[in-house]
Amino acid sequence: MDSAELAGKIVYTWLTLVLGFILLPSAFGVSLGISELYMKILVKTLEWATLRIEKGVSKESVLKSSASVGIIQRDESPMEKGLSGLRGRDFELSDVFYFSKKGLQAIVEDEVTQRFSSEELVSWNLLTRTNVNFQYISPKLTMVWVLGVIVRYCVLLPLRVTLAFIGISFLVIGTTLVGQLPESSLKNQLSELVHLTCCRICVRALSGTIHYHNKQYRPQKGGICVANHTSPIDVLILTTDGCYAMVGQVHGGLMGIIQRAMVKACPHVWFERSEMKDRHLVTKRLREHIADKKKLPILIFPEGTCINNTSVMMFKKGSFEIGGTIYPVAIKYNPQFGDAFWNSSKYNMVSYLLRMMTSWAIVCDVWYMPPMTREEGEDAVQFANRVKSAIAIQGGLTELPWDGGLKRAKVKDTFKEEQQKNYSKMIVGNGSLNLELD
Amino acid sequence: MGATHSSSEEVRELEGKTGFSSDQIEQLHRRFKHLSGDQPTIRKENFNNIPDLELNPIRSKIVRAFFDNRNLRKGLSGLADEINFEDFLTIMSYFRPIDTTMDEERVQLCRKEKLRFLFHMYDSDSDGRITLEEYRNVVEELLSGNPHIEKESARSIADGAMMEAASVCMGRMEPDQVYEGITFDDFLKIWQGIDIETKMHVRFLNMETIALCH
Repeated sequence: MDSAELAGKIVYTWLTLVLGFILLPSAFGVSLGISELYMKILVKTLEWATLRIEKGVSKESVLKSSASVGIIQRDESPMEKGLSGLRGRDFELSDVFYFSKKGLQAIVEDEVTQRFSSEELVSWNLLTRTNVNFQYISPKLTMVWVLGVIVRYCVLLPLRVTLAFIGISFLVIGTTLVGQLPESSLKNQLSELVHLTCCRICVRALSGTIHYHNKQYRPQKGGICVANHTSPIDVLILTTDGCYAMVGQVHGGLMGIIQRAMVKACPHVWFERSEMKDRHLVTKRLREHIADKKKLPILIFPEGTCINNTSVMMFKKGSFEIGGTIYPVAIKYNPQFGDAFWNSSKYNMVSYLLRMMTSWAIVCDVWYMPPMTREEGEDAVQFANRVKSAIAIQGGLTELPWDGGLKRAKVKDTFKEEQQKNYSKMIVGNGSLNLELD
Repeated sequence: MGATHSSSEEVRELEGKTGFSSDQIEQLHRRFKHLSGDQPTIRKENFNNIPDLELNPIRSKIVRAFFDNRNLRKGLSGLADEINFEDFLTIMSYFRPIDTTMDEERVQLCRKEKLRFLFHMYDSDSDGRITLEEYRNVVEELLSGNPHIEKESARSIADGAMMEAASVCMGRMEPDQVYEGITFDDFLKIWQGIDIETKMHVRFLNMETIALCH
């Protein structure tokens, strides 16, 4: 056999294997247990690696702890407590103490900017990209690492790229075909089938292991699904377990092709860039969508940007003004197997996907939560905060009142003025002066 | 400083000068690089990216304090254009808790250093006195966000506080005696006997005592 035929045969065998072991089972939602086996081996290897590192480290008696603990003990006492104690009168020189201390705390360590970079791991997971604090330990460990690199780049990466390619093509072709059919329940069922199959294939493309909790609260038609945002993969993870209508801007390129194809099969809500600025238009269209009870639930990420999965930032009130039932969902990734956070200022989409495909796996938990509606006398902002707290508690994330938009923009002046208003209220008591002049 | 694991000689030197441990210095170095955008020096503009700091009413004074030559021990007045990591640590060290196991003299010295840092924050023209104008300036900055307070009220508050300071420092004054301003010694007098400990320190955690959970 000459080399062309040999190459042809290899590709043919490869594709048949992929088809048989991965594609067909995912079309039927059946699992062959290969990924479970892979995960078990992976977990054992990482445990072994961690033990080796700890043994090696204790010899040198240097324990470098995770940076997420922080370098200072923050004094979070509210302004009243912080300023009291030394004051005899309404205004004291000492008030400057409190503010300078707060200022220095902010300079040494601020809660917000650390959320826009990846979480640091407590123990190394044999990926170079997470190797910040850990040094060379032993030849065995290095060998395992080299083996890991080979496995990830030469075995897993081609497999995953093939799967992703097949998945996306199938999605585009499938939805275009289904879109040709007339409106009927058959069309809806077929479109669901196509969506689910492609999502399962794409999840396999990332070696994703997802645990869904509380499936009884899965979002229903005519509702709005709200979740915390860590990466574009969130969409994939949620759509593997149910179909949603997406909301977003129309993109160009590959994303644009996918968007146009998807909208043929079932109604999604895509906006032109100019339309996004008009909030009333956006709200109107979304209201129309959920009013139709036959349409799929809308999926919205109210944070507006990707956060690194250690905390939940401010939920923008726009999604909560539409009305309807909100189904909160909490998504928490396990950073040990691969870091899912997309730092859009550091990596573009393609390098991000490559990083995803060369990690060990994507492991995450998804919790569906009981539906919430806006109560009497509650405005959109309070409702948004209520939902945010619920999601933060369920996912084990910290809650921050800050706006995710701070990744790129500055603090609004209104925020600054709030703090100064509070302080001056304390001294002057809402306009009346309490001075005693000697 | 070069790479993350910089030469231990430089670190030891900094340890001696500022009193931070080597792990703390490494952490602070990472923070410094983050603020400076991987440059070797920081300028005033680099402090603009800290959201928590934006809320602080005396933000400009705090940032200014980092560049003040008196705090950096580089002169008696004026502002530096940029500071390097050693300067950064020097300013941070003003906020370290006073080690009460030291002898009384050293404790007093540390206290004086902290109060001097604060004095410099008020005394913006570096003439060694906090005049009424400078005091008013600080009060106005602190109260500037509230639309209900007019400039007059802010002035009266400053005037009142200044009067009290005068009475503490000068005792009874003659009718036409003018109080020039609060000198550093007067400033110390005001704070005599009052414990400013909890107000003016930031507790830096000792990294080695944080253990990994097994």
